[in-house]
Amino acid sequence: MTRLSSINNTFDSYQKLIALYQEHKEKMFDDISIELSYFFSANMCAALGAILDRFKSNLNDIHFVQINPEIERILLKNDFLTYYGRNRALDTHNTTIKFQKLKKTDGKFFKNYVMDELIEGHRSDLPKMSSGVKEKIIEAIYEIFVNAQIHSETEFIYTCGQFFPNKNKIEFTIVDTGIGFKNRINKRFNTKVSAEKAILWAVRDKNTTKEGITGGLGLAILKEFIQRNRGKMQIVSNEGYYQFDASSEVTKAFRGEFPGTIVNLQFSTDDKSNYTLKGEVNLDDIF
Amino acid sequence: MIYFKTMENITINIVNSIGDVFAVEAEDGQKVFELISKALRDHKNVVVSFQNVEMLTTAFLNTAIGQLYKDFNESDIKRHLKASDMSDSGKVALKRVVDTAKLYYKDPEAMQRSIDNILGD
Repeated sequence: MTRLSSINNTFDSYQKLIALYQEHKEKMFDDISIELSYFFSANMCAALGAILDRFKSNLNDIHFVQINPEIERILLKNDFLTYYGRNRALDTHNTTIKFQKLKKTDGKFFKNYVMDELIEGHRSDLPKMSSGVKEKIIEAIYEIFVNAQIHSETEFIYTCGQFFPNKNKIEFTIVDTGIGFKNRINKRFNTKVSAEKAILWAVRDKNTTKEGITGGLGLAILKEFIQRNRGKMQIVSNEGYYQFDASSEVTKAFRGEFPGTIVNLQFSTDDKSNYTLKGEVNLDDIF
Repeated sequence: MIYFKTMENITINIVNSIGDVFAVEAEDGQKVFELISKALRDHKNVVVSFQNVEMLTTAFLNTAIGQLYKDFNESDIKRHLKASDMSDSGKVALKRVVDTAKLYYKDPEAMQRSIDNILGD
């Protein structure tokens, strides 16, 4: 049995999930038993769900043999455990953002999901969030979703999030099980860039692997917003780790690799910045 | 006698072209790109209307508009293409997409150089 204990949004927690993947990735027609204890940050369901799907594609059976009752309560509310044979529970406090597994082509479905989970479903409990900030957050989430669609070569995209009303934070995670930043870049440029350097390159303004079409703005604009919003972004891709916030930019290497890419975004919901930028660009001066 | 040929104006409405108020996916951007290209090739003046667009991504704008700088020269685009009904944040995003596109197509080797730079870091 593999025990996942105290999973939150830290380098060590991602390392534990990578260790889980490494431990079972070669298994076929087997039983994989998992225990969740102490703490499990709900948004990390996106990463765990992606890993477990990899195991299921090798026809393994997944068993949650022991789950701390507090974790179980949340993972029933956010629908994660309903993918593993459990009945859904009602989220009366409305703080979860549902776990969702989407086909890469399910853009329209993703729109409904974002509307339900981040806008309509939280009108009453998020009075503090200004509409400018809300729009920027949704825009940021979309840029990441579209990046996964365009670049990752994944079959599915996994998303999940969590509101923390007391801390005025939202965590939102988007995961794919595609080729990862490193392989995408090395394939395009015929290079041997490490996973960490690949991420560093991709988040720089104007850098893109697209051929014949411009790009490279989504992650750069996201970084600028994260800085102003005093949020945080983390990228796990293959064995590379990248973290950015207003005060630092860090890269590290994991032991073993994640089979794809995790992008975790943390936003401050009490951000009072003005994002309207009125009159900054004249329509006649654009082209 | 001198005849002045007046160019016809064509309005391309984003919401109508993609069937959505969320202009976010690159694939939808491609549809808009094809419409604009067709009109520009046919020497029309094009107005791209963002009326009722609720959400925009740079991925959409790169495909819909950034790509035009590959096939048309800057001065023709400036003369024959206009954008209308854009939100202030949309204008900022579009300006950035356009500026990036101009650089990208002028210097196709820039990406390779930036990869070499990061390898040398």
